[in-house]
Amino acid sequence: MDGIDIVGPQVAVLGGAGLILLVDALFPQQRKLLPYIALVALAASALWTTSWVSRDEYGAAFDGTLMLDKYAVFFYYLFAGITATVVLASIDWVDREGRGQGEYYALVLTTCSGLMFLSASRDLITIFVSLELSSIPQYILAGWGKDQRSSEAGLKYLLLGAVASSLLLYGMALLYGFSGSTLLPEIATAIRDGGEANRSLLILASVLLIAGFGFKMAIVPFQMWVPDVYQGAPTPVAAFLSVGSKAAAFAVITRVFMEGLAPKFLSDDWSMIFAVIAAVSMTVGNVMAIVQTDIKRMLGYSSVAQAGTFLIGLAAISAGGADEFTLGASGVLLFLAAYAFTNLGAFIAIIAISQKLGSDQIKDYAGMWRRSPLLTLALGICLVSLTGIPPTVGFWGKMYIFNAGIHADLAWLVVIGVLNSVVSGYYYLSVARQMFLGDPESEEPVGASPALMLALTAATAGVLVFGVIPMPLIDAARDAVATLAIG
Amino acid sequence: MVPLENYLVLSAILFSLGVYGVLARRNAVLILMSVELMLNAVSLNFVAFAAYLDPDKITGAIFAIFVITVAAAEVGLALAIVIRLFRNRATSNVDEAATMKW
Amino acid sequence: MEGFGVNFAFWTLSAVTLGAAGGVVVSRNLLHAVLFLILAFIGVAGFFVLLSAEFIAMAQVIIYVGAISVLVLFAVLLTPRAGRDNGETAMALPALLLAIAVATVFIFVVNDTNWTTVAKSPELATAELGTALLSTWVLPFELASVLLTAALVGAIMLVRSREEEAEDALA
Repeated sequence: MDGIDIVGPQVAVLGGAGLILLVDALFPQQRKLLPYIALVALAASALWTTSWVSRDEYGAAFDGTLMLDKYAVFFYYLFAGITATVVLASIDWVDREGRGQGEYYALVLTTCSGLMFLSASRDLITIFVSLELSSIPQYILAGWGKDQRSSEAGLKYLLLGAVASSLLLYGMALLYGFSGSTLLPEIATAIRDGGEANRSLLILASVLLIAGFGFKMAIVPFQMWVPDVYQGAPTPVAAFLSVGSKAAAFAVITRVFMEGLAPKFLSDDWSMIFAVIAAVSMTVGNVMAIVQTDIKRMLGYSSVAQAGTFLIGLAAISAGGADEFTLGASGVLLFLAAYAFTNLGAFIAIIAISQKLGSDQIKDYAGMWRRSPLLTLALGICLVSLTGIPPTVGFWGKMYIFNAGIHADLAWLVVIGVLNSVVSGYYYLSVARQMFLGDPESEEPVGASPALMLALTAATAGVLVFGVIPMPLIDAARDAVATLAIG
Repeated sequence: MVPLENYLVLSAILFSLGVYGVLARRNAVLILMSVELMLNAVSLNFVAFAAYLDPDKITGAIFAIFVITVAAAEVGLALAIVIRLFRNRATSNVDEAATMKW
Repeated sequence: MEGFGVNFAFWTLSAVTLGAAGGVVVSRNLLHAVLFLILAFIGVAGFFVLLSAEFIAMAQVIIYVGAISVLVLFAVLLTPRAGRDNGETAMALPALLLAIAVATVFIFVVNDTNWTTVAKSPELATAELGTALLSTWVLPFELASVLLTAALVGAIMLVRSREEEAEDALA
């Protein structure tokens, strides 16, 4: 395995981005084709990944900076799926916007390639550059809309992102200074050999790494950009950031802490940090979500709370032996997949509804059941899944993570998590109640374009199918985590 | 030979000045400049570590090069957005520009 | 470079760099802030020379002083109203306390750690840097080029005027 094959899935995606720019410039009449080129590129990327899986060719590449394992493959599929859904969900919005269609899809694909590289990097330099490769197009996309709010969202996202990058870099510098290397396995060796005498340095480095990635994960206290950016950015872009960059940040932080910073004396410390942030994020996110009147802001705060739930899985990683290691991490992966289906579904339903209503106010969703039964049903299912009620995939994600927490003696955290799920049920289901039982302002039906319906059906089907038969997803998450080399 | 610790303390102070600037200033361009100070502190750390701790001295220098590259891209983009904001409105103050809260 | 000269250079550069950085974060005039920033960048480049990383020092001067500062200057001059209100937020005092806390923690950690200094090796050769950049780190190197392209495309899109956008939409 060498040459272009190693980075094939990413090259397919980036090649698609280049092709889109070319077609946009040379054949402006053919603009309708652009999103389909993007979809073909993503399909090619997934096929390439599948061809690896069938050849069973895993291993390190580029002097160990890139690691092709089942963990990376899990995320390659996840990101290709997420991006394809986002492309489908963008078609209407981009058409109406009229300008920069080629650039929009090209930037979405560029982000996707950055996310893929992020999940496979095993070297601090590669992690940093991939992180920026996925972030910079997202800053642009957040500021893509014509209105002032969108520009402000882009600026705010970029400035805070740059601050987060510098915190992250300082942490990476400390790790490099301590170990003399940027490769995670070598950092792990250095920590095992001489880490205990230098705990203060390693704890500070862990804190800075958590802060830097925490911005992307949207955990407290790095959540202040979330509601504004979700509200200001174009909705398809908000859907993308809420799922894509969050998943990538969890992918990379799980890899960094498991492969690089795992020795017991250190993992006890960062596990405690994760546990505290988890409790605070869940509580702050849910309390703030209750009072929101704008559905995009509500989903923003709810995504902060969901990020807190993920952190229970990370906190559970450190306790005890190899079993808990994999239990906590595979819980994170499973919940990430569940959350991707669910949140994308919710956002797509919102895109369809708000295109018609011209409003994101929750009160305008009253009686939506009578205006658009299909959209309402799909959004209702996604809200149920976000709460974590069976038979949806969100239930299994939460169950698995709470189970990992209990195995890791974090019962107090799981109790907080369960209480928060109840609180979140209050505001998720009150939206559902409005939609099903409220009185509509008008009887005018609300429809959705075929592309939106396709994306929505795919996401909702994922929520329900994996809600009834979760084993394939659970097995995939377990296999993926089993290949991580615990440092 | 200046001890390594001197460089590290210097970089820590430079970084904290940047932190202060980011939190205390209202103007987006000034916040951006403060971020650049933080990134410079990080590059200084990398190059100092490379010079004192790394036998082949390469890795830290490479990291510093990437930091500089990415910083340039971010600044260019941030200023593009600031200029876009200005087209419609007469402020680059992040908290004032906010129809949304900072 | 040994002995008194190096120490003298280090302390002078420290004073200049930190003074300039302080100027950036307190000055109310945006133009002054940019000039202070340039001075701080040059100071850091001086440290790179002291650390015998001449290539990084050159890159620092060319990119930060030559490109980034000029970009910031352009932005300041193109947006004259930006200079109107450059005060501090209400958060100035907490920000100051937090910054002092950050500095204290970082300095404590620096002094608490046993840095395993290796013997001084020969100077960093630029050729080796290039070789490493195109062998071990070829992947981030290529990714950086994609990243710069994306930033370029995005920046152009964001600053296009409404008329250009309208033409584009009609095409």
